[in-house]
Amino acid sequence: MGMTGKISRFLAIASVVFGLAPALAQAQGTSISGQVTGTGGAPIVGASVSIPTLRVGAFTDEAGRYSFTAPASATGTTVTVMARRLGFAPSSAQVALSGGPVAQNFSLSPSATQLTGVVVTALGLTKERSQLGTAVQTVSSGELNTSHDMNILNQLSGKVSGVVMSQSGTQGGSTNIVIRGQNSITGDNQPLFIVDGVPISNENHGSFSCCGGLAIDNTGKDYGSAINDINPEDVATVSVLKGPNAAALYGSRAANGVILITTKKGANSSGTVQTQLTSSYTWDTPSILPDYQNQYGQGAGGEFLFVDGQGGGVNDGLDQSFGPRLDGRTTGCNFVPNSPSNPFAPHTYDTSVPCSQFNAPNGAPWVAHPDNVSSFFNTGKTLANTLAFSGGTDRAQARLSVGSQQVEGIVPNNTFRKFNSLLSGSLNVTSRLTASGDVQYINNDNHNRAGTGYNSGILEQFVWFGRQVDMNVLRQNMTSASGGLYNWNYDFHNNPFWLQYQNPGEDVRDRVTGNLSARYHVADWLDATIRTGSDIYRWQINQDYAQGNINYTNPSYAGAYTQYAEYSNANNSDLMLNANKRAGSHLQFNGTLGGARRLERYNNDQQYTAGIIVPGIYNSSNAGITPTLTSFVSKRQVNSLYGSGSATFNDWWTVEVTGRNDWSSTLPAATNSYFYPSINTSLVLSDALPFLKSGPLSYVKVRGSLANVGADAAPYQLQTVYIGQSTKFGSLPQVTLDNSQKDPNLKPEKTNSGEVGLEVGLLDGRATFDMSYYAKSTTNQIVNLTVSPASGFQSQIANLGRIDNKGFEALVDLTPIRTAGGFQWNTTFNYSQNQSKVVSLAPGIDTYVIYTDWYQNLEARVGQPYGVIYGYKYDRDAKGNLLLNNGLPGTGAQGVIGSIQPKWIGGWNNDFRFGSVQLSFLFDFHRGGKIFSVTNMWGDYTGIFKNSLKGREVDWNNPGLVIQGTDAATGQPNTTRVTAEQYWESLYYNAEQYTYDDSYVKLRNLRFGVDLPVNFASWLHASSVNVALIGNNLWTHTKVPNIDPEFSYSTGNAQGFEFATIPNTRSIGLNLRIVP
Amino acid sequence: MIPVTRRHTYMTNMILMTNMRFFRAAAGAAVMAGLMACGNGLTDVNRNPNNPTDASAASLFTNATRTSVERWLGTTYDWRGGEFMAQHLAEVQYTDEDTYKRLARAFMTGTFDAAYYQELEDLRKVIGKGIAANDAGIWAPASVMKVWTSDFLTDSWGDIPYSQALVSDSAGGSGKPPYDKQQAVYADLFKTTSDAATALGSASASLGAADPIYKGDPAAWQRFANSLHARLAMRIVNVDLATASAELAKAFSAAGGVFTSNADNAALVWPGDGINDNPLSASLQTRDDYRMSQTFINILRGYNDPRLPVFAHTTAAGTYAGAPNGVNAPTAQPYIVSASRVGTIFFPGATSYTTFGGPGATLPSELLTYSEVLFIQAEAAERNMGGLNSGQAALFYNEAIAASMEQWGVTDAAAIASYLARPEVAYQGGTAGLTQIAIQKWISLFGDGGNAWFEWRRTCQPSTIAPGPAAVVSYVPRRFYYSQTELSVNGANVLAAVTDQGTDNFGTRVWWDKPASAPTCAGVTLGIP
Repeated sequence: MGMTGKISRFLAIASVVFGLAPALAQAQGTSISGQVTGTGGAPIVGASVSIPTLRVGAFTDEAGRYSFTAPASATGTTVTVMARRLGFAPSSAQVALSGGPVAQNFSLSPSATQLTGVVVTALGLTKERSQLGTAVQTVSSGELNTSHDMNILNQLSGKVSGVVMSQSGTQGGSTNIVIRGQNSITGDNQPLFIVDGVPISNENHGSFSCCGGLAIDNTGKDYGSAINDINPEDVATVSVLKGPNAAALYGSRAANGVILITTKKGANSSGTVQTQLTSSYTWDTPSILPDYQNQYGQGAGGEFLFVDGQGGGVNDGLDQSFGPRLDGRTTGCNFVPNSPSNPFAPHTYDTSVPCSQFNAPNGAPWVAHPDNVSSFFNTGKTLANTLAFSGGTDRAQARLSVGSQQVEGIVPNNTFRKFNSLLSGSLNVTSRLTASGDVQYINNDNHNRAGTGYNSGILEQFVWFGRQVDMNVLRQNMTSASGGLYNWNYDFHNNPFWLQYQNPGEDVRDRVTGNLSARYHVADWLDATIRTGSDIYRWQINQDYAQGNINYTNPSYAGAYTQYAEYSNANNSDLMLNANKRAGSHLQFNGTLGGARRLERYNNDQQYTAGIIVPGIYNSSNAGITPTLTSFVSKRQVNSLYGSGSATFNDWWTVEVTGRNDWSSTLPAATNSYFYPSINTSLVLSDALPFLKSGPLSYVKVRGSLANVGADAAPYQLQTVYIGQSTKFGSLPQVTLDNSQKDPNLKPEKTNSGEVGLEVGLLDGRATFDMSYYAKSTTNQIVNLTVSPASGFQSQIANLGRIDNKGFEALVDLTPIRTAGGFQWNTTFNYSQNQSKVVSLAPGIDTYVIYTDWYQNLEARVGQPYGVIYGYKYDRDAKGNLLLNNGLPGTGAQGVIGSIQPKWIGGWNNDFRFGSVQLSFLFDFHRGGKIFSVTNMWGDYTGIFKNSLKGREVDWNNPGLVIQGTDAATGQPNTTRVTAEQYWESLYYNAEQYTYDDSYVKLRNLRFGVDLPVNFASWLHASSVNVALIGNNLWTHTKVPNIDPEFSYSTGNAQGFEFATIPNTRSIGLNLRIVP
Repeated sequence: MIPVTRRHTYMTNMILMTNMRFFRAAAGAAVMAGLMACGNGLTDVNRNPNNPTDASAASLFTNATRTSVERWLGTTYDWRGGEFMAQHLAEVQYTDEDTYKRLARAFMTGTFDAAYYQELEDLRKVIGKGIAANDAGIWAPASVMKVWTSDFLTDSWGDIPYSQALVSDSAGGSGKPPYDKQQAVYADLFKTTSDAATALGSASASLGAADPIYKGDPAAWQRFANSLHARLAMRIVNVDLATASAELAKAFSAAGGVFTSNADNAALVWPGDGINDNPLSASLQTRDDYRMSQTFINILRGYNDPRLPVFAHTTAAGTYAGAPNGVNAPTAQPYIVSASRVGTIFFPGATSYTTFGGPGATLPSELLTYSEVLFIQAEAAERNMGGLNSGQAALFYNEAIAASMEQWGVTDAAAIASYLARPEVAYQGGTAGLTQIAIQKWISLFGDGGNAWFEWRRTCQPSTIAPGPAAVVSYVPRRFYYSQTELSVNGANVLAAVTDQGTDNFGTRVWWDKPASAPTCAGVTLGIP
């Protein structure tokens, strides 16, 4: 009978003790017995079989058998007998209690739940979820591909607790992902990505100043995250190892957690080929555009007359919209006399002069073009197709998939094309030896990505765009009669269509990833695996600027260009022994011993020139100004030995220890060897104390873990160097000492982390809860610390500081409705809160500047959460009133404005099924955290946002605002009237004014699908054909005005700053899926 | 029952298989150990192939000199603030610098910071290498450049990190240098130029072509050192007359002497190759939002100054006109049309808005000129300082103006003569003479707004310089706010400097900025804290 039998007896005793089944004491009942099996007839152990009305029952033994006796008092009645096991749909039967033995078998079919089954964990090892002592959340392909977003990371949004994501908005752009808060002040805080056991680069090219900081070309284009190369349709599961505890076996790469992606594989199909087709087509539009005012046109001080767009007319070199009222006037856009120095003196418009504009120098009605920004954008179109073939025999299995994605962007002349092909196969060479491998080729080709940020961004222009400007005129006339740029302003802006059509930009990434492995079944209990895999890509970015472009080009030449090429090759090899041994029926041992070598090579080369000779030939042979060249090569090697051992007692208590030693090339010889241990345990209480299951509880597991992991440095941080320039001063070489002082005594970073978790299943898995609490602390941070410039360096590499993160995560999965008629409603909610705290930095240093822009800092300050916006605030008196100079608020010193860390985030997913119809939708919640919006700052400054209407006049002769506050000179309440223009301009670089509470709720995606009739499917030789209406990013509720609060212009650590990002798209489309 | 023989085979197989398993496991472990082969090789992997760990003094000197000149005579300092505060130029589109708004802490932090970690740190390395090689031909020019740079820092901010700055990579060096009082900074600047000048007397031209100013010529550097010494000495005349006089005497009588012709000028000649262009011309390439200041044009026009056509363009109306300083944008904007642009010589050929031609890309940046030295001598003479006497003042003054004319390419001797004869220009001596010297020096310093601003603070001339109506303070700034970076990471030392010097704002006067005994400029200083 074994242990389960004993437990059954224990249960019986417990039942008595707890008074659950008083009738058991009587001997003359009906004995009921039978077997519970799963699909295929396999016995199900530990299932509960009971008569709920009589509160009697038992659990199945190792053969799936049960037996119990119903009380004699019930003899003669007919009762419902239920068989239940977590992970299976319950089954019931009507049984007449005759007094004699009754046999009743049950067959249970599996049902998905978050709490059982097998999960992929560190090193790609699969484990029973019940034996897992750490927090791992798995997302299956079914859950992933509801939205058909081609960005695998975006697909995780809202589905995994503890994960914070932000996107930069551009199609084909990047996503920042942080699990359980940032550990490292300056290092990479994004998790390690592993695809089929091999680490994959997620090189970040999403920051404001991309690609090594091209001096000429601060394009701020977001070139996307490399992980987006993975086709979501190829993904079988994604396992998120949340933090150091789950990822401890990855040693120095574990601190930020790991995202393990397992691709789909071929299976034994008795030699037949199975074909699956998935297609989707979506229409994309900008989700959020600023709320523009349409009452005042371009100009300043209430007047505007265009002559040359460079100051030749009245205010025509200026690009703000504090001009005349857009009332359709055809004359009188400037004053008589022209003397706006006193804005409160009476002004008269000169009606003898027509209102001239860039496209109508002899006058045109002065009217708003309310759609002049929105009409710039097209309806984007995204077509994604994946065709996959798979099949196999008992000896060999293979899968081939071909995917393509074609995007026409929402900005004109922007296209994005991606092609993926993945071939995987495995071969059972002998009964002991299995060889498998996969190879993937990915090609990304993007034309004319729209820039973000200040210098050449489309959206930058749209925070200045004159409200009377007719976009259609700009669309139809990019070039002037003389061949140059044609635009509404020539001082600061390029025609936005010119940016997209005349300045060709192309970025292409070719990537091959692959791995080969062989597994030898040494003995029943021992496997040896050897595996090597590489991720190799080459990335070429070209950006050209046509003659006449107002920035980046030297006007004496015929245009400019910049070229950037990057090559990366990361190879990882492992040799691993896995042992799995049962000792008797009570004890099971698992062990792993392995070694690994990681070798990374990386280099980039770039060149740029501000002047070419012949127009249109953008290469070095045509350079009129000697191109500036830079190059960078880096190499890193990490050798490792690791091992883990676990013991599982009675299938319900598991203890595991792991250890890893890394030797990293990036650290000094004295400290380059370091050891990372971890321990975790998992206790399935409901199996240890089965009586727990007799109520509504069906599963209870507690887990706990302690881990110590870390991180090495980037290459070449040990010795201060000199930096030369490719360009000479005349013929003289120029060399400078690096502004960053290096540290020859660096130590590895260390993260100590502990977590406890509780998993509960109720009502046969119709309600499950999974909760974690964790606390972690990272010390010896390797930081490029800003130091006193008077020290001779801008920054210094050092080990310092401590950041603590603690937090709580919960995942609730409910099936509130499940009817016999086939209607089911499944709903999940995940919730995460993380509290971060910078405990210390270097002695005497209480802040670290993570990022600076627009004169505001993002800092790690001692005692504050990681990432506070430290910016310029209002000047205030002792009572907190605004201090005003000449009626205008002053900007005082910098101070802490707020933390970028959200209070909590959550995702709420709903899934309804009725027969062949499915409806699902997902809401994302983001509560708290601050965002500094430069878009809003400029939009008010320039007077084009609706908000800036406050204080505008009826028509110029009664303007102004009296700002409430104290006059700095007199100490009395302010009575000085200022114009709206003066007021909004005075708020420039006032971060207090333009920092917002970054709370939002988003309807992330919605899918309405229908399975077509089976006979139609079989006519197509398919088992199922599903068509769906899909929508992404459909609705956002936020208090942050004018922008999508989700985005920042960097996907690195510089979060919490937003400026001129291309709006995220709202997509609506169709999806077709044909399954063999 | 298995037959014995078979059993034997079976047993053997069992043993063999067990051994095989053992062997395979051992082989695996051995491969793994080989894979690890930890330790020594790893250090080599981290050898930086991109950058050297040492550099020649020559290449560092070239870069530091270029960087420093680009900063103080370029768009991050001079055209950022100096030229607007000195009212040589005015902003006509967005007037944020001209109203001093964009000269606040946030905006000048980068200039202050980079001066230290870029050129000063590199110059320190050059000096160290020169001293180690016992080669004054290397360390002395670098010391002179260090003084030239440090002078901008202390005159703009007052007390600055100096004696213990730039030493964080030396044994025991502090990463948080304290601020030295300006008086102490000046004392060391005097000592440094003197030491350099002395050593240059017997130095060789070790820097050679790598010196973009004088090709390493020790005699030329000696004259620059002495002339710079004189500039510094005159700066402190209001606060410490005795020292000023003594240091002037030292400068004028030092071996090698001061500049004696425009050929001696410390000038950086720009290659003009599109990469290393004169920074002002590089700015004019795309920016058209500066015009001549009314303050400047009115004086030049009033004097019928022959340099006016060099300094400025005529407007569309064919006249020379200026724009007011420190007004709001709508007021400033009409002056885009009605005020004069800077002259053709500053323009780089084509610009993005129009083409003037012009040799601006190769226009030399003048670090210190013969004309300025003559003005210093004229003032010293008028004040009977530095071994000169007031009888010599007129001569120096006239020569100074002539030198400036020559420097700016004005060759019409008759025009120069009639200019010198004008009642406003003809030297009057006494307090009026000092005023004339100050105004003429201010004119000749066009292009070096920083020094023009320092001189205005010292002399109050021209007295027509006053903040514009939209200025954020009611006076012309007398210093800049300290660096935000320094406040963040070296805060205690900044606060000590503020305690020593006074409130950290635009209005606090630095040590040498004491009201002039003569001349006085009534009215302009109103409102200064």
